[in-house]
Amino acid sequence: MKSSEENHTTQSVPLETVQESLYAKREKIYPRETKGLFSNLRMTSVFVLLGIYYIFPWLTWDGRQAVLLDLPARKFYIFGLTFWPQDMIFLAFLLIMAGLTLFFFTALAGRLWCGFACPQTVWTEVFLWMERWVEGDRPQQMKLDKAPMSAHKFRIKATKHAIWIFFAAYTGFTFVGFFSPIRDLFINLMHFNASSTETFWVFFYGFATYGNAGWLREQICIYMCPYARFQSAMFDKDTMVLAYDAKRGEPRGSRKRGEDYKAAGLGDCVNCTMCVQVCPTGIDIRNGLQYQCISCSACIDVCDEVMVKVGYPKGLIRYTTQNILDGGHTHVFRLRIFIYGFLLLSLFLGWMYAISQRSLVELDVMRDRNSLFKETETGFIENVYVVKLMNLDEHAHSFKISAQGIEGLQLEVNQTSELKLASGEILDVPVRLIADPKQLKQRSTDISFQMQAIDAPTNPKLTTVEQARFLGPITR
Amino acid sequence: MPNSPVLTVPKAQKIMAVLWSSFLVSSLASILFFFAFDPQTALHLDISKMAAYSIGFFLFWLTTGLSSLLTLYFSTPLPQISSSTHIDEL
Repeated sequence: MKSSEENHTTQSVPLETVQESLYAKREKIYPRETKGLFSNLRMTSVFVLLGIYYIFPWLTWDGRQAVLLDLPARKFYIFGLTFWPQDMIFLAFLLIMAGLTLFFFTALAGRLWCGFACPQTVWTEVFLWMERWVEGDRPQQMKLDKAPMSAHKFRIKATKHAIWIFFAAYTGFTFVGFFSPIRDLFINLMHFNASSTETFWVFFYGFATYGNAGWLREQICIYMCPYARFQSAMFDKDTMVLAYDAKRGEPRGSRKRGEDYKAAGLGDCVNCTMCVQVCPTGIDIRNGLQYQCISCSACIDVCDEVMVKVGYPKGLIRYTTQNILDGGHTHVFRLRIFIYGFLLLSLFLGWMYAISQRSLVELDVMRDRNSLFKETETGFIENVYVVKLMNLDEHAHSFKISAQGIEGLQLEVNQTSELKLASGEILDVPVRLIADPKQLKQRSTDISFQMQAIDAPTNPKLTTVEQARFLGPITR
Repeated sequence: MPNSPVLTVPKAQKIMAVLWSSFLVSSLASILFFFAFDPQTALHLDISKMAAYSIGFFLFWLTTGLSSLLTLYFSTPLPQISSSTHIDEL
């Protein structure tokens, strides 16, 4: 894969040329619309992914918003699951798995992510639709941009930007709706009642969408995307890549219909430049694999269309592998695929298991620091603790605490009412443990506290045990 | 300066390299920082948590952005000095 640096680190270039390129304005790319298998796939992907984005915050689950990252309350709701700050590890592993999935599919099928699933691609695609709807197709857009400013041009441009801005603002609103209950947010925004923080983030995300999908487009992929920089590390000769079959296509050239082009020494490429016109990053795929190529496959669709029109077989530009282009065979099942696949599968299974076994209660025991132990009037030994109970379940429960480890150990709770905890509640309970000194074999005895839900005593996820120490006088 | 290697980095790339890399690191820093410190209970801030998170994020971005800017500044290639270089060219 050619690195972009080849284009940038040029030796012995006259200074004038260098300065020109430094300050040269980026040329706007007008990708021509394509139709075909890959365009349909991308359209499906856009509808599914943006459908998820725009609809999910409006769904309800168990009386609350189904997907809500409630930052003020410091808990994340994702359908039936609730994540607390101490569950951060699950989210971290989720991100690691997402990264591995990306590696796996990159090794297998190249930059699938870039062409079909990346938010940058997906939103840019929608912005392109809106642009085509208002300004027309590629030739019309180019003509409009070349024309001097007029009332007509101004009206068209203003309409386009108004639609873009509205869509971007709604996108920003949806984004904030993942963090702040979306129904209240909607009503508050309509009445100009939303908090300044919420309003700010609606505009910030909306502005980023408008700028990235409307203006910056392919520059995001070329300059900002970290994945684009290191994806070649996951490539090998068996990775699916989007390539022009130079053996078949060259030498390229225009020809008359029905002419024996092979006798004239020409290849299958009719040099119609359609593949260049449809490219959203403005490259010529016939120059070989390039770092800027996001594998969107628009050139495959359009080239196949041309090939059918001129009566040649399809696939002059196609998904293939380096090995096939070199005349060899492709091995799908190779070590790299097995390693990524194995890591991914085992992480996923471990993650699922850990989530399903996650305890819904937490118990912390702190010793009273003022006294090590106290002797009661009846000659027993007393230790004081503060027990911290936490209910991480979605429902309220009443809990019972007990202590084991010493024969005849008694537990006394100051609180007379039952220990009822609402969902997410944390309760500090002062607790006294009383033991017979005859049962104390040494100065410090290991004991354990147990917390158990009264309404579901057999549910292992609502039961937990915490170790502690019981101190007493030195005996014999 | 004829025949000297010149690194040409487009202006757009420079701007994005500063803003974007600092944005990413600032997001990570905010997540880790506020994961450990609750703005109301640990930092005793008298503003809403969302506002505290937002302000914290932008302070981090300012810091990381300044660092990125300095990195960019110090990594520009130095002029090649030779006997024929006139003082005005520096």
